[in-house]
Amino acid sequence: MKNLLEYMGIDPGRLHFSWISSAESTKFVEVAKKVTAETVALESKEKKYMKTKPKVA
Amino acid sequence: MNIEIITLAEVQDIQGEAGNFSVDVLRHPRYIDEDKCIACGICAEKCPKKIIDTYNAGLSKRKSAYVEYPQAVPLKYAIDPDTCIYLLKGKCRACEKKCPVDAVNFDQKPETSTLNVGAVILAPGFEPFSPVKFENYQYAQLPNVITSLEFERILSASGPTQGHVTRPSDHKEPKKIAWFQCVGSRDMNRCDNPHCSSVCCMYAIKEAVIAKEHVGDHLECSIFFMDMRTHGKEFERFYENAKTKSGVKFVRSRVHTVNPVPGSDDLELRYVTEDGTIQTEIFDMVVLSVGMQTPPALVELANKLDISLTPGNFAETSTFSPVATSRAGIFVSGAFQGPKDIPQAVVDSSAASAAAGEMLADVRNTCTKKQEIVPEINVQGDRPKIGVIICQCGTNIAGVVDVPKVVEYASTLPYVELATDKLFACSQDAQETMVELIKEKGLNRIVMAACTPKTHEPLFQDTLTAAGLNKYLFEMTNIRNQNSWVHKNNPELATEKAKDLVRMAIAKVAMQEPLEEVELPVNQTAMVVGGGIAGMAAAKSLAEQGYETHIVERDAVLGGQGRKLFMTAKGESIQEKLAEMIESVTSDNRIHLHLNTQLTNVDGFVGNFVSTLSSNGNATPLEHGVAVLATGASPYLPTEYAYGTDERIITSLELDKKLMDNDAALEKLNSALFIQCVGSREPERIYCSRICCTHSVENAIQLKEKNPEMNVYILYRDIRTYGEKELLYKKARQLGVIFIRFSIDNKPVVKTENGKLIVNVVDHILNMPLELNVDMISLATAIIPNTDEKLSNFFKVATNSDGFFIEKHAKLGPSEFATDGVYLCGLAHYPKPIDESIAQAKAAVARAITLLAKETVFSSGTVAQVDPMLCASCGVCVSICPYSAPKFTEDGRFAGKAEINPALCKGCGLCSASCRSGAIHLKGFDTDQILMQICEMDEAV
Amino acid sequence: MSKKEPKIISFLCNWCSYGAADLAGVSRMEYPANIRVIRIPCTGRMSIKFVLAALRQGADAVWVSG
Repeated sequence: MKNLLEYMGIDPGRLHFSWISSAESTKFVEVAKKVTAETVALESKEKKYMKTKPKVA
Repeated sequence: MNIEIITLAEVQDIQGEAGNFSVDVLRHPRYIDEDKCIACGICAEKCPKKIIDTYNAGLSKRKSAYVEYPQAVPLKYAIDPDTCIYLLKGKCRACEKKCPVDAVNFDQKPETSTLNVGAVILAPGFEPFSPVKFENYQYAQLPNVITSLEFERILSASGPTQGHVTRPSDHKEPKKIAWFQCVGSRDMNRCDNPHCSSVCCMYAIKEAVIAKEHVGDHLECSIFFMDMRTHGKEFERFYENAKTKSGVKFVRSRVHTVNPVPGSDDLELRYVTEDGTIQTEIFDMVVLSVGMQTPPALVELANKLDISLTPGNFAETSTFSPVATSRAGIFVSGAFQGPKDIPQAVVDSSAASAAAGEMLADVRNTCTKKQEIVPEINVQGDRPKIGVIICQCGTNIAGVVDVPKVVEYASTLPYVELATDKLFACSQDAQETMVELIKEKGLNRIVMAACTPKTHEPLFQDTLTAAGLNKYLFEMTNIRNQNSWVHKNNPELATEKAKDLVRMAIAKVAMQEPLEEVELPVNQTAMVVGGGIAGMAAAKSLAEQGYETHIVERDAVLGGQGRKLFMTAKGESIQEKLAEMIESVTSDNRIHLHLNTQLTNVDGFVGNFVSTLSSNGNATPLEHGVAVLATGASPYLPTEYAYGTDERIITSLELDKKLMDNDAALEKLNSALFIQCVGSREPERIYCSRICCTHSVENAIQLKEKNPEMNVYILYRDIRTYGEKELLYKKARQLGVIFIRFSIDNKPVVKTENGKLIVNVVDHILNMPLELNVDMISLATAIIPNTDEKLSNFFKVATNSDGFFIEKHAKLGPSEFATDGVYLCGLAHYPKPIDESIAQAKAAVARAITLLAKETVFSSGTVAQVDPMLCASCGVCVSICPYSAPKFTEDGRFAGKAEINPALCKGCGLCSASCRSGAIHLKGFDTDQILMQICEMDEAV
Repeated sequence: MSKKEPKIISFLCNWCSYGAADLAGVSRMEYPANIRVIRIPCTGRMSIKFVLAALRQGADAVWVSG
């Protein structure tokens, strides 16, 4: 899955997987923060390749 | 709808008799109107009084207006009259002023009422033993000596430390923790609890393993114990892993004293090791594994209700009626029947409801309420007219999200007919206005932006049904739990997020079609596989409740392993009771016996099975709605301890046979020896067979009573006489039975020399080799399940690595399978004594009857459906489905194409995601719908 | 919106992570507001199509959680 993204020129760091049980709210928050932080970091890194947003299908 | 929960209530008296009881109930005031309270929590927020939180074992604070814990049912707040400032001093009423729905009512008074019922089930539970009086452990003086329940709260993610393991005195992370077992159990010297509490060994191991997971591997955990009692299903494996993989230390010793280490908060323990040396060791924290006991007030109530108690103050029951108290029509479940863990308590509760059901079978459904059915409006093909409702949830949502803005925004979106907000969308009046709006505006789709669909979707769907709309024309989006509550410091972004979520929900619901729930009849016949004690008990209970039942037994006779057993732990003759049981089963004309019969095929699904019964080459089909598997187990045939070389070396069941026959030779024995764990708790068969310790202890007592001069030895690894069976162990020691412990790497050796039976073993106290010359050896052999792969395949039920069936849920679904309509009980589930087998048989029946009594089942609407025009017949869905719902169509126009049985489909979507041709639609979560949600994720430009 | 906040689309299993997300709310925990949740019945429902569609529609990241 991640390989495919890489092949397509998308940073595989944009895809996240996790397994969280319904009692693990703390873990949920941790992962949510981590995912957001990593995405923000990618954003600044890739700023120069500003995406052209496709029209809504 | 048919369960009324009466909280804050006390039973004062029960009069009358089975079938017609009147129960006097005293109801204490909650001071909050349950019908009005919407559990917003404002009362607790505004309440100025802080008190100790007893739910968190006193480790944190709560308010006088409170809800005991977040999952409480009913989720309604209460005001604690013992601490409320207004109720004590007459001033405050802050909660009353701030409550948004005027639910606070200080005028409530205690009320008494009388309930008229046919049967009563007692499930009052237990109290944990208070270790305050154990002065040598200084629980009351030393903050870092805590009970196991306090430690449970420390480990809990919702507890006072959010799951971070810290010790109470200085909130530092401990490096060494010690657990003391049997605090308030197996102890007549310092307290009056002779029984074993059954659960503490296992929970201590669990706590130690979890503590190491939370803190890290460097945390040292030591458990001080007498006998390690991990007799539950999968428990022995957990114990072994705790030792070998998690590195928990197990020390066989009772700690003598705990002393503070001067100048620190650490604790110094003094204990005697197995070899007799006195040790002192420093720990950061001590956890006392406290036992279970019946609270004194409950003993009083039991006496008043005329319910007999055991010596340990638990409700007295008999082996063959394990949930019936001494008073007819009053049943018992849970720890009041005896100390037990969750699965056993769940089994008992179902069993008690079956026992009550047997008694009340004639009047079934005479008091039940049924919902009125509103005819459904056909909206198929109509242009979507979407109603959007944004819930303010008091200030829970509106305090963060700008609700009017979201409403305004929603009304501009395509297909939206109406957008509005509600103070509390779930309140009764808001529901009524919703019905009105749907009718008035001709809405055909509803979006609800509110709390979580996991709790509230069914409620709103009922509102749709009441308005005549198909309940699947609905989408709920979560702007509270997953928005306003978690982004309270960022109202702007939260409002944007709410808009996005609402837009996504609208896009999805626009694509939603009305879904049909297929109604399937449930065949009212039951099949029980296995005619042992569990199977017969299940059949009898089904028949008593009015259902035709077929017993399929491969042997020529009923009774199973029960035929080989002599006496129960409570001293009842098994053969006498078994004969009564067989008689009542054979004489019951609702029970049909199929002896010498095997099951050779099973077709169909829940409510509509067709099984093929084969006997002497004749196959006959049997249609049935449910199946109970009670296929039992067999004794292990030992190869160890010279079994088979000398007729004086026998198994426990062979000794039972001699006792049943009243063999005169037994009295003449000068010595007898029992060896435990023969074939159990070995690397290749890791589980404990649960009943053998009690069985050997009981047979040892029999021998001692026949001939008090006889030398009786029991060689064991851990004596596991759990619950009140501990009293038998005590009795055996009093009678002079000698217990010698051995370890798995130094097992006893049995040999015959010059016609003499000789056993060599190392004595654990003297640490000296002993040579015993005995006249008889009884081997406590393992219990091995009758694994039948065909049967597992027929019903799609799995077995664990030991060969026992895997139940739906280890704790909450112990008597049913994950496959709907199939139930289990007895030894096929796990080794267990007769009382537990019968309780589980009744429990399986109770679960089966919840299905049978409905007479029809509805498949869910959110199931997968194949478009045969697109299906390529590749078979991926057929092989991938965990529930075997897809099949190839056999005939007709689309023969060879896949077809999904809606009754088996659980709507997981695995097939839909894996279908290469895009032929499978998961209704309610269709690809188009999810794609629409994705498309609407970013605001259209 | 002057500075665009990244958007993360998350597919949460109804029985596991969705429950955890609810509980996070009940416990009043806080986390960034960038996540847009799509509830799915089970992570088995996930298809590569959804991931690609989400990225194509301008999602800055996709988070699948069972």
